[in-house]
Amino acid sequence: MRIDVDARRWQWLPDLREMIAYRDLFLVLAYRDLQVRYAQTVLGIVWALVQPMATLLVMTLVFGRAVGVDTDGLPYPLFAITGISAWTYFAFVMKESGGSLIASQEMVRKIYFPRLLVPMSKSAVGLTDLLVALLVMVALFFYYGIAPQERIILAALYLIGIVISALGVGIWISALTIRYRDLQHVVPFAIQIGLFITPVAYTARTVTERLPEWLQAVYFLNPMAGLIEGYRWCLIGVGDPGGWCWLSFASSLVLLLTSFIYFRSMERVVADLI
Amino acid sequence: MARRMITVQGIGKQYRLGGVRGIDPRDSLKSNIQAILRGRGKPFWAIRNIDLTVDEGEVFGVIGRNGAGKSTLLKVLSRITVPTEGRFTIEGKLSSLLEVGTGFHPDLSGRDNVYLNGTILGMRRAEVKAKFDEIVEFSGVAPFIDTPVKRYSSGQKVRLAFAVAAHLEPEVLIIDEVLAVGDMEFQRKSMGKMKDVASNGRTVIFVSHNMGAVNSLCHRCILLDQGGVEMTGPTTEVTKRYLDRGLTERVSRIDVSDHPHQRDDKAKLLYLRWVDQDHGTIDQVRVTERFGLEIVHEVRSSTIRPQPVLLLCNENGDQILSSTPGLDSTIRYEKGQHTTTVWIPADLLNVGTVYATVELVTWLPFQPHQRLDNIMSIPVLDDIGSPTFPITNQRLDGIVRPPLEWEVGR
Repeated sequence: MRIDVDARRWQWLPDLREMIAYRDLFLVLAYRDLQVRYAQTVLGIVWALVQPMATLLVMTLVFGRAVGVDTDGLPYPLFAITGISAWTYFAFVMKESGGSLIASQEMVRKIYFPRLLVPMSKSAVGLTDLLVALLVMVALFFYYGIAPQERIILAALYLIGIVISALGVGIWISALTIRYRDLQHVVPFAIQIGLFITPVAYTARTVTERLPEWLQAVYFLNPMAGLIEGYRWCLIGVGDPGGWCWLSFASSLVLLLTSFIYFRSMERVVADLI
Repeated sequence: MARRMITVQGIGKQYRLGGVRGIDPRDSLKSNIQAILRGRGKPFWAIRNIDLTVDEGEVFGVIGRNGAGKSTLLKVLSRITVPTEGRFTIEGKLSSLLEVGTGFHPDLSGRDNVYLNGTILGMRRAEVKAKFDEIVEFSGVAPFIDTPVKRYSSGQKVRLAFAVAAHLEPEVLIIDEVLAVGDMEFQRKSMGKMKDVASNGRTVIFVSHNMGAVNSLCHRCILLDQGGVEMTGPTTEVTKRYLDRGLTERVSRIDVSDHPHQRDDKAKLLYLRWVDQDHGTIDQVRVTERFGLEIVHEVRSSTIRPQPVLLLCNENGDQILSSTPGLDSTIRYEKGQHTTTVWIPADLLNVGTVYATVELVTWLPFQPHQRLDNIMSIPVLDDIGSPTFPITNQRLDGIVRPPLEWEVGR
């Protein structure tokens, strides 16, 4: 192993070889978060179940009963849990990885390691919540006696897209927060708004059918719009994003790629600013 | 010829003074806009034009006064921050220890923290696993290994953290005053470990204020001053230069109230002064005279009781003694300004220059507030009337020179 540092040389992308060499740190950081998360709580891991259940209940009451969202005749709770499982994961990763670099400032000031592993490890931490939500979903499939779509296997692709966009947003925020702490105040607010402008509790069609083409494009630039819509379509066959899903896939990839580049430039000065 | 492990060429690191200023509603709109437009503070170079090379198996010391750029150089070499100019290469696996226990999480068990800390330090999980039993045994906290670390005493925590660090196997090791923490027992243990590392032919960069440690460990040293290289060479020459030069201004009363080297702002040293019996200011002393160091400090919080601590060294960096007022007097160091004089008895010190390091510490719970290394010096002169006056008129060997009782056989 040889370390070569030159002030004039600029690397645009993360050093993949180095990240692989530190892969154990990724796992250990994720494991730490899981251990710490429910430490000294009475309910422990049960909390992972309480959260999606509560959201599901509220949504069913508000959007299912009161508003009466069109779900192509499917029971609303089943419709909602598809959206909730994906959105909860996205919101968790966005929030956690967004604040992760600030949260580990003690470490960042005292030792070198590929900083990118810190926000990235949160994508693994969120998987437990996702898993629990998926179990609820399976239970609901059985409860209503409804079979999932045959294209359910494609849902995995959409999930990968969701991981990518969550990381893209999270890494951007984690790097930006170093210079502008203001973002810490924006994130919870952004997640709240995001829940309403993303088709989580309703189908995208409800919003887009009256919009001109170009505004539809703007709507699906939000990567989660096309991804959640497509994910649900694969599971229960409601709402087809059609070609728009490619726009959402593309925008999540662009987000992740640009976040890598921006993070890389912040990585150089993070220990000085944090 | 030994393999060259570290090559540093023209390293410089620029910082900007002051942080980002936010919007303050108490100020006028105009001054807020100006503050945002002006942006960041004035640039200054923390280090500049640093060149050095270190060969395999060499222990290389970095010394210099507070603010000379030691920490910045370490941060650059351990890749925590990127240099503004210049380049360096390190051949082989690098580990840096700027503190022990980086990343320790209070809610995790000792076991989980060993894995966490080990991987942060660059070990693979399998490596930690293979050494786990050894680490736990070395730390001496085996019975508590599954207890959350927040239930550990601070000593246990440090021992566990050091045990992990001691089991790293880097080819190049960078260490920053890790030795300055912990009790004597722990310091001895860590010094021993450092010697082991060095004698195994690995390369070490060691930063310290402790001239004794530097002298006994390092082959070569670099002396930094105001961010530049003052001197590079064999340890004895460089440490001598450091002690000579660092404090040539033989001031007898100094104002340290603006000294930047502080760990917190709860307590602060204000003035230091050498005094004689009658509290008159002096700038030299004879071996036969009792003299004192007057320490004025300010306590700014009512929740702490910081005491001054004195450490005396000679010009070789040997530690002569350290002293505190004792726990009983703690109660008196409440919020406000305090003047304390510590008396050094006559016929104790040997001739030569004596350097004083002054520290402010609250003992319970242990919190170091400020430490000024080698901040004061005073020449101790011989006296023909001394009971220990050397007959040959040469300096006697030894760190101290107290008159001992000799009983000559009948």
